[in-house]
Amino acid sequence: MTEYDYEELGLVAGLEIHQQLDTATKLFCDSPTTLREPEAADREFTRYLHPTKSELGELDEAALEESRVDREFTYLAYDTTCLVEEDDEPPHRLDEEALSVALQIADLLDVTVVDQAHVMRKLVIDGSNTSGFQRTLLLGQDGEIETDDGPVSIVDLLLEEESAQRVEETDDGVVYSLDRLGIPLVEIGTGPDIHSPAQAREAAERIGTLLRSTGSVKRGLGTIRQDVNVSIAEGARVEIKGVQDLQGIEDIVRSEVRRQSELVDIAEELSDRDAAVGDPREVTDVFADTDSGVIRGALEDGGAVTAVPLYGFDGLVGREIQPDRRLGTELSDHAKRHGAGGIFHTDELPAYGVTEAEVDSLREAVGAGSDDAVAIVAADPETADLAIEAAAERAAAAIEGVPEETRDANEDGTTRYLRPLPGAARMYPETDVPPVEPDPSEVETPELLDEKADRYVDAFGLDPGLAEQIAFGQRFPLFETAVDRGVDPTLAASTLASTTTELRRDGVAIERVDDEQFLGVLELVESGDLAKEGVGGVLAEIAADPTLSAEEAVEAAGLAGVDRETVREAVVEVVERNADQVEAEGMGAFSGLMGEAMGALRGKADGEVVSEVLREEIGKRT
Amino acid sequence: MNPGDRVRIERAGVTNEGVLMPSSTAEHLVVKLEGGYNVGVDREAASVDVLESDVHAVDDEPAPEAGAVSEITFDEDLPTISLISTGGTIASTVDYRTGAVTARFDAEDVLRAVPDLAGRANYRGRVVANILSENMDPAIWRDLAHAVHEEIAAGADGVVVMHGTDTMQYSAAAMAFTLETPVPIVFTGSQRSADRPSSDNVMNAVCAVEAAKADCAEVLVCMHADESDDACALHRGTRVRKNHTSRRDAFETVGAKPLGEIDYETATEAGADGAVADEAIAFRREHASRGEADLDIAPDLADGVELATFAPGMDPAAWEHLDDAAGVVVAGTGLGHVHTDLIPRIEALVDDGTPVVMTSQCLEGRVCDRVYDTGRDLLDAGIIEGGDMLPETAMVKLMWAIANTEDVADAMRTSLAGELTAESRPWR
Repeated sequence: MTEYDYEELGLVAGLEIHQQLDTATKLFCDSPTTLREPEAADREFTRYLHPTKSELGELDEAALEESRVDREFTYLAYDTTCLVEEDDEPPHRLDEEALSVALQIADLLDVTVVDQAHVMRKLVIDGSNTSGFQRTLLLGQDGEIETDDGPVSIVDLLLEEESAQRVEETDDGVVYSLDRLGIPLVEIGTGPDIHSPAQAREAAERIGTLLRSTGSVKRGLGTIRQDVNVSIAEGARVEIKGVQDLQGIEDIVRSEVRRQSELVDIAEELSDRDAAVGDPREVTDVFADTDSGVIRGALEDGGAVTAVPLYGFDGLVGREIQPDRRLGTELSDHAKRHGAGGIFHTDELPAYGVTEAEVDSLREAVGAGSDDAVAIVAADPETADLAIEAAAERAAAAIEGVPEETRDANEDGTTRYLRPLPGAARMYPETDVPPVEPDPSEVETPELLDEKADRYVDAFGLDPGLAEQIAFGQRFPLFETAVDRGVDPTLAASTLASTTTELRRDGVAIERVDDEQFLGVLELVESGDLAKEGVGGVLAEIAADPTLSAEEAVEAAGLAGVDRETVREAVVEVVERNADQVEAEGMGAFSGLMGEAMGALRGKADGEVVSEVLREEIGKRT
Repeated sequence: MNPGDRVRIERAGVTNEGVLMPSSTAEHLVVKLEGGYNVGVDREAASVDVLESDVHAVDDEPAPEAGAVSEITFDEDLPTISLISTGGTIASTVDYRTGAVTARFDAEDVLRAVPDLAGRANYRGRVVANILSENMDPAIWRDLAHAVHEEIAAGADGVVVMHGTDTMQYSAAAMAFTLETPVPIVFTGSQRSADRPSSDNVMNAVCAVEAAKADCAEVLVCMHADESDDACALHRGTRVRKNHTSRRDAFETVGAKPLGEIDYETATEAGADGAVADEAIAFRREHASRGEADLDIAPDLADGVELATFAPGMDPAAWEHLDDAAGVVVAGTGLGHVHTDLIPRIEALVDDGTPVVMTSQCLEGRVCDRVYDTGRDLLDAGIIEGGDMLPETAMVKLMWAIANTEDVADAMRTSLAGELTAESRPWR
């Protein structure tokens, strides 16, 4: 991809980072923050949402567009969810643990905390909140983080409830899962201070590190989501939702710049050509005998074909604006939002079974000449009307330039149209929850992860690599507890950072081992009741049966400890079996025999003890 | 500096501009910021500049006067439904700038708040009261009965009463006893306020209007049948009870399945052009048909009727206030009992001419005071057995019976509006 001169293009970007908190209960109820499989649902129910008009009679544009898509929502409930998630009970008070973690985050971002935080209802009518709104509060403003290319301001820090997880979309509507709804979430918005794709990535990385420093954020896929706002000087503000990882942020900024600058070029050319969008009309007759499978399929179901003439658009609808995405793809995205499968346009026709003769009659039917393009939609009559209208609106916007909108990130670094930008008018107070007066002095500043790694090296003598691995990993709070309880730091760190990783790679469900079980295993090693070589095996036993205590797991693994005498017996046996070699090589036989002795003890004995005894026994015989 | 002013507030190095909102605490100024968030700022520590006065009106609009009547343009072919408001938030709007929720009452407002009602009927709107339903009292029931009577007399084909849910069952029972009706009188409300997109008001209102167009000329309560937005239950007004504090399907017919059910989706389509959505409504049991009864009203209700709940350990002196009562309904335990020590008080009340009716806290099942000694003693003391009447219904009925009948005891033992059943049948 061509690298643009971002400064010359006037690139301005900002980030919105959403991070789930790892609290015991949800933000406004006492349900656990545990995610479930949809199959575990024990109830389901259906609801409609009715968008509420404001007193001015204005309906938020984003909300309005959602409401055009009249849908029924199905919700899955679990034995870990309650009536609050079902919108059948008022919210409880704001969760104190979540507030406390959010205040730590405020501290790390150098944000000024508000005197009194008011819980607001933010209108969301896509069904992802049973209530039709998301509860959210502004906790702090005006912070800052550093990047190599200068500081990036933090405009606001919000504490809000996570939405319900979309499970599937059926013909009847969308199915949502209530397990995720209400998990505390912080949203961090930066100022528009980012001027290159690399800086966007660095800022996101920095914020991510600060968040993890609290030790109280959720880890893993989907627990952090990044939205990116991008504009270039001649373009428009575009909000891109749901960028999955850091590399994705860099890619998406780069490809959005390309999209906007291509659209600016297209707009200039359309303007030179005096381009215009005509009125949509029905052209079903043109395709009465078509061989196109898509169109015929729609017509056989009683559908219609609608078309819109795009005067002066010839050749531009098919122009690429992002890898494998054209202006026509943008039109198509809008048509899809209204239920159509997509559009065809004359820049790509004849194709898909549409013949040249049909293209000619299509042009004739809508009065389009050779400099013009035509877009068509085939669907049931109502959808065909709505969809061609939407495509026509998007085409008209292309003459003006880049439309402001919300887009969804695709996995390949491109984006697709999602909905208009949300307006500011969609917020009103949550009267069921009293305001809170947060006290930032109640929380301690968390140690940053890099500071933590350094301290582990200095204080515990950890190898720097291992120190970093444990400090940046999710189990550092457990590591610190283990060390507090007298476990050898290197043993604790290597168990919690390396052994767990190896076990996971081997397919062991290590996440099923809880903190107390980890500590129990480590303490058994410390007390000499378990050889450290046996740790992996014991953890695997617990993962297989999480009801086991550490002691029971040691039994189950057949690793109940062996004393020094037993070790000596085994070693003597090995040495005697290899008497010739010992006599010939002396201590040179050590490493060969060590392996054999360890094998004989099958990991039940500490390697250091075995080694000591083996040296003694070889020594006796030379 | 007043709510509604546009202000710039500086506090701890952070400057915000926004509109000043009313604050619930004296220590804080509440500002609505550009992005829509409200924040509270320490009043003492903040420095404030008023940029523009009175940008927005943030005070609540004046509530409509009771007694106002409004009409939506009439179409001869449509049935006429009277929408009567007593308060509650089934129709209310929210101001997103201020968050103020304004209750709506006249027909036009209700239609604006619930546009799904349009086209189903001609509407007459009428306000009887504007109260929270916990503040309901018998004087308003009398007004409500008169209003419903007038609306039916004026040609309404059905009446929908929009009511707060807390005391809906009492008001429904009051209408059932005070009115003889040839058309449906349907109570409805919402468990989630109308200012939220998930409110149950739309489905409840549409189903209530469709039930009011249908052929069941009784006093009904029409509320969600379950937690889904798929159907409303139609409960007989004298057998219904609010049995949950917050769920949409809080209302239940006690001791049986609801009288009927109305399917939301079918009703929405079938009734859209004013037709009666018969295919959407299924009744389980017999009910009065349209036109069967002649319109009549007996609105008098006795004041001073008490509902007294007995509980173990209670101070018998707590019932001293009953001495002045015009009538008493006791919610006793089990088959209809109270502590033996309370029997002399009941006997004294009865001797003094005060009717005392026994009902049960069990809610389900029939009072029977012939099984145990305490019961027999209570019968000897002169209590009237309330059969399987709900305590709340019995209380409203006693108010009516005292004011309208010669033989109160006989009236209390006779089913007047479906409140009593003659035989206990297993649930169906």
